[in-house]
Amino acid sequence: MNEPLELLVEIGRHFAATLDIEATMSLALKRIAHLMAAEGGALFLLEGDLDGGQLVCRASHGPVDVRGLSIPAGTGIVGRSVANNAPEMVWDVQNDPHFNKSLDKQFDFTTRSILCVPLSVKDEILGALEMVNKSGGDALFTQEDLTLLEALAGSAALAISNARMAGELAEKEVMRRELALAAEIQRGLLPAPAGEDFPVCGVNRPARVVSGDFFDYFTLYDGRIAFTLADVSGKGMNAALLMAKTASLFRCLGKEDLRPGRLLQRINAEVCETSLRGMFVTMVAGIYDPTTGRLVLANAGHEPPLLHSTDDQFQALEATAPPVGIPPELTGGGPVPEEVIYLEGGSLYIFTDGATEGYVEPGVELGADGFKAMVQSGVAAGQSAQTRIDAIADCLTKDGVVLRDDITVLVIDDAKPLQERLKRGDNTALKVVKRDQAMGENGEDSVFEGSLCALTVPARAESLKLVRRAVSETSTACGFSHEQCQDLVLAVDEACQNVVRHAYGGGDRGGQGNQSQGDIAVDLRREKGSFVILIRDYAPAVDVKKIKPRDLDDVRPGGLGVHFIREVMDTVEHLPPPDGQGNLLRLIKAI
Amino acid sequence: MEINISQQGALQVVAISGEVDLSTSPKVREALLSCIKGAHGVVVDLSAVSYIDSSGVASLVEAFQTAKTKGLGFALAEVSETPMRVLKLARLDQVFVIYPRVDEAVAAMA
Repeated sequence: MNEPLELLVEIGRHFAATLDIEATMSLALKRIAHLMAAEGGALFLLEGDLDGGQLVCRASHGPVDVRGLSIPAGTGIVGRSVANNAPEMVWDVQNDPHFNKSLDKQFDFTTRSILCVPLSVKDEILGALEMVNKSGGDALFTQEDLTLLEALAGSAALAISNARMAGELAEKEVMRRELALAAEIQRGLLPAPAGEDFPVCGVNRPARVVSGDFFDYFTLYDGRIAFTLADVSGKGMNAALLMAKTASLFRCLGKEDLRPGRLLQRINAEVCETSLRGMFVTMVAGIYDPTTGRLVLANAGHEPPLLHSTDDQFQALEATAPPVGIPPELTGGGPVPEEVIYLEGGSLYIFTDGATEGYVEPGVELGADGFKAMVQSGVAAGQSAQTRIDAIADCLTKDGVVLRDDITVLVIDDAKPLQERLKRGDNTALKVVKRDQAMGENGEDSVFEGSLCALTVPARAESLKLVRRAVSETSTACGFSHEQCQDLVLAVDEACQNVVRHAYGGGDRGGQGNQSQGDIAVDLRREKGSFVILIRDYAPAVDVKKIKPRDLDDVRPGGLGVHFIREVMDTVEHLPPPDGQGNLLRLIKAI
Repeated sequence: MEINISQQGALQVVAISGEVDLSTSPKVREALLSCIKGAHGVVVDLSAVSYIDSSGVASLVEAFQTAKTKGLGFALAEVSETPMRVLKLARLDQVFVIYPRVDEAVAAMA
């Protein structure tokens, strides 16, 4: 075998064995320079386009190491070879108009002759191989030299192209793995299903590996359940990252701020502190009380949740504020307005537009009506809430139908109507939560802090049974005697009655207050050896001076309630309510 | 809450059981007032009342007053512990005519 062929085979073997192009090329240049008696050689690779890019030296052999040398593509003899995708054999370099003399000066070198061949695969130009200064004989590169260099350039170009593709593949594989990890972490941000009896459940189907949607829920100390569902604009990694941030904020702030409207305000303030690059989050947050079916909802720019009542009616609850991510300066920055709903045995569906705009079959959207129909048929078939929403997600993720957007649905299922709860009487599952006395005093919601039991009920005669039950259990837990407990139950009942009858003005003798007229919030606390009861309403302020106990010698119906309260309690005080709205009564009894 | 009305001679005996509160006291009031219209006297059996609030007490007071103006007898009987405690709080244990047992009330008022 002749020497040039042997060299080509050997270098070809090197290329096949390694993806380290630069090391192989350094060796190849050395061997080929020796073979054709050239003083030096260099490999130039094109970075960027022919127009405006650079030719950068990646391997060199000879008296001067020119690795890292970068010249504008299209300049010099090597540039001409690359631009024309044609070899150059220049015997008298110094007289070539394209020759860059400044480089010789820079490297203290005299270039006499150049042999240059372009590196290309199909139509893609990768760079060029250049040999300089043939010595011996007439010192002129020959056609044989050119053929040898072209043969080397052919296998080098292929090797470079392969190495680049391998690099891209490896990079893609790394990306794919990272994305899969991100998706796993993201799924971990969703709450684990809490079981059949738990009234809140959700489903999330990402359109891509990661999702811009999320939902979450958790039980608060007093048995109420905080929940949220949100949709970050966009679907890619950036949306997923903003989703993770928003979800964390909800988890964190949602445990300390029990007002969904103010919670969304605070999340917005936090989110707006980071650069959003035009992204925003439509978000619903709320708190549901499984004991009473009462639900407080705040909606920042999200698709209207659907309330499905037990008489099969749907009601859409429109958003009342712009999405999260709109700077507070632009919107005035107040809390998102809240809406109070009594589910009364119905269900609340919160979903992203991916659910209503998803395809049931190619080109056919489920639509709001389709969504409602699926809810109705699920309820009619006696399906659990989880089964109902899984069915909706399933019908949108059939094989062959491309998911255009993430699908997320959350449902709050108030299985037991309020009246049924109240009728259950003594079996009412009231959670009496014992907490440490020393709770933080910060936050306007201190009404509910450090409490043994807190509940909010509609101001109706029918709610009082529930309040009595709560007082009875809590006062018993505090160690009061049976008689004292009975007295406390009576006092709180009477105080709540006054709210129903006088503050909200429902029914002259009571019992007619069937229409809801606002709420009563009762908070039962143990403070410094005393049992403290806070009763809050949201009615117009009552003139305290007009409230007086009846004269007991005057035997006539009515007017006894205030007397009972003062007789039973050690202290009865009307306090200014925390936010100036409604009335706040504090009753204290030493334990 | 349940109300059972029985005739014992010329008297009506109104037996109330369960919780008498803001939501149920209107029924108690209605039952008592209608009994007063068609009877010579009314005995209210409170033995099975587990809870009574001011609105329930007010119903009793109103019925008592109505009976009085018509010259009819009105008495409470077998007042269980819880309603008795409430009547005492209202100092009404001294106002109402209270018998330990229903049959005693019926015998006394006949």
